[in-house]
Amino acid sequence: MNTVDEVLDYAIDQEQQAADFYANLAERAEKAGMKKILLDFAEEEKRHKERLLAVKTGEHELTPEQEVLDLKISDYLVEVDESPDISYQDALIVAMKRERAAYELYSDMAEKVPESNLKQVFVGLAKEEAKHKLFFESEYDERVLMDN
Amino acid sequence: MNLKDLLSPFYVWQRAFEKPYTSLHPIEERPGAASYRGFHINVADNCVGCGCCHTICQNEAIDMVPVEKYSGNKGDSGLRPRFDYGRCCWCALCVDMCTAGSLRMSNEYIWTSREPADFFFVAGVDEKHWQNNELGYRREETYHLYPPKRIEMQMLSPEESVTSFDEVVKGYSKEEAIKEADRCIECGMCVATCPAHMDVPDYIRSIRDGDYEKGLQLMYRTNPFPATCGRICTRNCESVCPIGIQGDPIAIRWLKRHIVDQVDAKDYKRILNDQVGNSGHSVAIIGAGPGGLSAAYYLRKQGHAVTVFEAQKAAGGMLRYGVPSYRLPDADLDKDIEYIVSLGVDMNYNTQVGKDISFEMLLQDYDAVFLSTGLSVPSNMRIHGEDHPRVLSGLQILADVASGRDPGIGSKVAVIGGGNVAMDAARVSRRLGSDVTILYRRRIADMPADIEEIHESQEEGCAIIPQAIPVEIVNADDSNQVTIKWGEAEMVQDPKGGRPRPVLQEDRMHEETYDCIISAIGQGSNLDFLTKEIQEQLAIEWGKFTPGEYQHTPIQKVFVGGDVANRTADAISAIEDGHHAARGISRFLNPDAYTNSDT
Repeated sequence: MNTVDEVLDYAIDQEQQAADFYANLAERAEKAGMKKILLDFAEEEKRHKERLLAVKTGEHELTPEQEVLDLKISDYLVEVDESPDISYQDALIVAMKRERAAYELYSDMAEKVPESNLKQVFVGLAKEEAKHKLFFESEYDERVLMDN
Repeated sequence: MNLKDLLSPFYVWQRAFEKPYTSLHPIEERPGAASYRGFHINVADNCVGCGCCHTICQNEAIDMVPVEKYSGNKGDSGLRPRFDYGRCCWCALCVDMCTAGSLRMSNEYIWTSREPADFFFVAGVDEKHWQNNELGYRREETYHLYPPKRIEMQMLSPEESVTSFDEVVKGYSKEEAIKEADRCIECGMCVATCPAHMDVPDYIRSIRDGDYEKGLQLMYRTNPFPATCGRICTRNCESVCPIGIQGDPIAIRWLKRHIVDQVDAKDYKRILNDQVGNSGHSVAIIGAGPGGLSAAYYLRKQGHAVTVFEAQKAAGGMLRYGVPSYRLPDADLDKDIEYIVSLGVDMNYNTQVGKDISFEMLLQDYDAVFLSTGLSVPSNMRIHGEDHPRVLSGLQILADVASGRDPGIGSKVAVIGGGNVAMDAARVSRRLGSDVTILYRRRIADMPADIEEIHESQEEGCAIIPQAIPVEIVNADDSNQVTIKWGEAEMVQDPKGGRPRPVLQEDRMHEETYDCIISAIGQGSNLDFLTKEIQEQLAIEWGKFTPGEYQHTPIQKVFVGGDVANRTADAISAIEDGHHAARGISRFLNPDAYTNSDT
């Protein structure tokens, strides 16, 4: 990944893979109502992909300087199985942790490349993933941690 | 003609140059006195539309009219007073009575118009130049037409209450209840807000009249759990009582309890005189909690044969196994349940649908099925070490205590959570002799538990550490103990709105060792007794049913209600769900004969 386009293509592919992952899990979901929720997650990933496609065509800009709130919820939660009988709580944990891993990946890449346009793209992608993580963590805070 | 007669017209003319005796604009130069009772001013944003001004007006000069801006607000009727100045006699009783303190009178008294209809006006909504007048009449803050403070409830002292599971609240005497009932202004705001729309003003009036039998009859029209709700209701009604704006809201819950406490259970049949016919239809109910049994009561009154399937060995659901007896004694819960069952409800205890009998079998054997299985599965914290044997569930501890089992919590416990289950688990632990610390990740003001429960838990010696986020559970040196690591949180405003969110401060971490950690962070449904095919047919979101009007589901003969089908997850909502489902089931079973009369 040496060019901005290559990096964006990779990121777009990752979002598609995430969408496929949730769609596949939705197909196998056994618990009440989980199929719809996982399909909603897949749709969310497709929206992320659309956003990056728009970045690639110049219709939308990454915002590397934007501060994104980090609730740090996923950082201290256990890994959970991505099994067909996955619950809503566990599906959110999976989603939060995937977004966190993506955030860390792009942050690491940004650290490794010298100051350049490419570095800014990595930082911008990391911020995008941080926003996605915040989306799922906010859901977790609202719906799972209601009494806590 | 003499000379005087000739000159007299000129004498008159000389008057034209004298200072006039009349004023050119007399009314502009005579403002009303500083406390004059002139045209009305209403601070419409502070008014809740309770209608007390309308009720007390002896000249019928005030009508309550809808104002769109205020419709749909909680605790606001969406109405505002419209004055008819053809009738008003400026007595100011409306101002003296105003519960919100939003109504007063300006010292303005001149208003001319050729159009009679102009003299109807909605104060504070229709623009008038006196709306911001500082002068005029207002009620003195210390003067009330009704006592603003509620009659104090006798309770066990915190020192006494932690020594036993005896009921903490002692209940009103007749004299106290009448005094408290006297404070009710019968505005009916409570009726609109109560999920079951109980006829609160009328049953409170029955206390004043000393007619407890009528009070009981009124309550059973919409709620067959009055002894229970008189003790543990979440009392949405009190949160909107307009008397509470400038004083204490009417103690509606305690007055309800007072009525039930005055009537002996053996007299219920005679007083309520419920006639049970035979419709020829049969209904299965899954779950004998407040939702299921409320449905059972109203379905029996419609003459349907009702069979209840309950997994536990006794009825009541969370009311029995989740609410401790110091808040709801078994005898009072049983008073409600036994009357419902006495109408001929076929109770099947220790019967688990999906194991002892299949859901499909119920669909096949009964004309309709009402499902109200509640939220029985404790949520997991999902932090490392949670599977430690000294991490216990709040729900399990409450069930153990309700069933007479020792939950074995030890002498020093931490409770995680801020809901009613957390408060109950904490207070039960105090009664079992433990030191209790409650860890909650947000502020005390954010706790979903009843505010009285929070205060009482503190009075009983439970320490609350707010903004504390558990991050890990590890082994303690003593294998009978457990150590929790938690970090302090800062509340941060979410840029997208909503309540502030706690953010862990990783540089402010703590750890503490306890005999056990009680997890009470919430609970979810268990719908595993339904096959995947059935689940897909029923509308389920976030682990809950999303019923339609009359609690129906996409499977025509299946109706749902209670915690597993509503967002509020409280007893009174479950009771209303059951009542509403009974209406829906009756309509479904007998669409031609069913009328709009209440079930």
